[in-house]
Amino acid sequence: LTQYGVTLTGLHARSEKTIQATQDWERGRIDQERLGKCFDEDVDSLVKLQHKVGVDFPTDGQLTLAWQDLFRPLSSGLSGLQPGPMVRWFNTNTFFFTPVVNGRISSDGKALSKAVERKFFDPHAGFKIVLPDPLTFAQLADDRHYGSKEKVLFAYSDALNTELRSLSSSGLKYVQFLAPSLVYRIKGKPLPRSTVEQLGEGVRAALKGVQARSGFYPCFGDASPYLPYLFDVIPTDDVGMDLTQTDNSGLEGTSKGIIAGIVDSRTTYLEDVAALASRIEDLAERTGAKTITLGPSADLRFVPRTSADEKLSLLGQVKNKLKGKGARPSKRSSKK
Amino acid sequence: MKAFPTQEIGSLPKFGWRTKPFRQMALSDEDLDAARRWGDRLQIEGRDDFYRLLSKRYSFSDDEKKTIIDYSLLYAIGMCERAGDGDASPRGLDLVWSGEQARTEMYETPVTNIGGFEFVGRVRSFDNKYWRMASVKAPPRYEKNYHLDEFLFTKKHTKRKVKVPVTDAITIMAWSDNNYYTGKWAKKPGLAPARRSFGARREFTLELAKIIRRVISELISKGVEEVQIDIPAATQYQSEDDMKLVAESFNETTKGLSATFSVHSCFPPSTGYGILFPHILEMKKCERFSFEYGNRDSFSRGLDPESRVGFEDLKLFKEYGYKKQLGVGVIHIHTDTLPSAEVVRDRVLYSEKVTGLPRENLYVNPDCGLRTRRPEIAQKMLDLTVNGAELARRTPG
Repeated sequence: LTQYGVTLTGLHARSEKTIQATQDWERGRIDQERLGKCFDEDVDSLVKLQHKVGVDFPTDGQLTLAWQDLFRPLSSGLSGLQPGPMVRWFNTNTFFFTPVVNGRISSDGKALSKAVERKFFDPHAGFKIVLPDPLTFAQLADDRHYGSKEKVLFAYSDALNTELRSLSSSGLKYVQFLAPSLVYRIKGKPLPRSTVEQLGEGVRAALKGVQARSGFYPCFGDASPYLPYLFDVIPTDDVGMDLTQTDNSGLEGTSKGIIAGIVDSRTTYLEDVAALASRIEDLAERTGAKTITLGPSADLRFVPRTSADEKLSLLGQVKNKLKGKGARPSKRSSKK
Repeated sequence: MKAFPTQEIGSLPKFGWRTKPFRQMALSDEDLDAARRWGDRLQIEGRDDFYRLLSKRYSFSDDEKKTIIDYSLLYAIGMCERAGDGDASPRGLDLVWSGEQARTEMYETPVTNIGGFEFVGRVRSFDNKYWRMASVKAPPRYEKNYHLDEFLFTKKHTKRKVKVPVTDAITIMAWSDNNYYTGKWAKKPGLAPARRSFGARREFTLELAKIIRRVISELISKGVEEVQIDIPAATQYQSEDDMKLVAESFNETTKGLSATFSVHSCFPPSTGYGILFPHILEMKKCERFSFEYGNRDSFSRGLDPESRVGFEDLKLFKEYGYKKQLGVGVIHIHTDTLPSAEVVRDRVLYSEKVTGLPRENLYVNPDCGLRTRRPEIAQKMLDLTVNGAELARRTPG
């Protein structure tokens, strides 16, 4: 039967105490050490909560100063990049600083290591990290060097590979690409298959030689136009979809794991556990997936911390409700 | 009509002496010094009495706190009226406001005064900047007019033309937790997930628009002539339906009202303001769109597209045959790094070049409200707005 898991799909919310600490620190009322203690408490409580709800690959929430936005450790830490103008992050009231490409993108393998709070993880169990997928990076970067989004995509993928290899030697067990640019289409048609295949090649380059399980999670849009071939083209162990935007009906059998963005990360409204479980059962039957990992539809930083933690706990309740239910694994094979 | 008139967008920073008494914090020597320095510089009427009041430092009564707020409005008006280094003639902005000093903040003030909301905690907007998110738990309802007192006070203390910024329904919806309507629409069967969430957004927005219309209607009846509808979230939800909803919400808000209406928005997605077109042109009562452009521009002088990369989006207005007014944001407000007055001038002149609008239709303003900056920087930004516009005026068209 289908195995169910729980995961965080993006950056988590800071607690009220940490929020206040960041503001006090900016105004010179507290020092860096006191701020650091607040972040430590925040990460520690989140890691413990993930263990409690049965998360297999916990993250540190990616909520510290290193992660002022999803790009920041990379736009500040990779050669050839720097943070540029502030731009809205898709359809949210949050903003990021555009990665400006002003030279050849390269990595010394230390940018992400500095950003991960490894001390909170069991060295054997390891940790998960969420990163921008190559397409999202290429689409949102301000390229002043390569002259082509395709070149940016592969240059980023190669630099990411150096970073991920370095991380996998220090406890990385799961890397998930957050991929809003694939499904977030304001006007016009979905991206052509050739572009998605190119993205797949970028992901392959980023993962080459990386000893960790991998996932690809497109959020903020309907993944239906790319189904079912997305499962074949993206070379990750798991492929996901934002189920607050995507109907189950376009899904077919797959031998891959599925990341199901079932809980709406954009509201504190707590969904009905039975209704969510029923939808996941339908997903299991349609796909025959061996594993379905339940997640929020996107980052839980879009709601206050208390609600973010409630939503994570809600995922644990849905998982418990699904125990022993599911479908037989599909005979359909996906190419990896 | 004046060429390149100037305006602010809304908020100005709050001094320590304005915020600390409300946080039960004692005023420091620096706070008192800032009150004096700025009060003298801005020639605030009755300032000696005010300095005496502040010298108490803590335990202010409610009446004294009200006086402190009143003075903060006077300081903000002064900053607007005295902007410019003296070369500009006349000095100061053409359209002024009292810096939203009487408001907690552009979002918190309305949701505190509209029924149906509960604050649920702070959410990070970017870096270490947050907003206090309110959750709508019941249909919103009018409780009181939350802008009337500040308007009457402002009008009484300036001879300049006053523009009242009012946060619109789209923004309140987008920055709130749509708990009530999400739950309501979750129970509607047979809808695709995206239709369900849009339905929840639209119903919430249009309910809010009715309340905001009442707020504005009352302001107009008390003498307001110009209202800036603040829609920083205009480009947040970016589907075709959501873009139509931005216009629908504006039209619902201004329905049956007679005043000069403008719209402010800022910080669009990386694709720019194009997603708003052609829908915003359906906002029939909007006389002026005031958008942010300085953020994405270079610091080089020049009237070429490369130097003025941040202003390329202005071409959209020409492409769609827009003939009314524009407010061009010429100063990025999230940095202390300032352009020179000559660069501001070039930004203004480039805006004229690409829009083809007459100079009197092009207002000059900072990108957005200045509340995140220190008063010294905010004042420099207002000075640059006035000085840059003046330099542009002196350049033959």
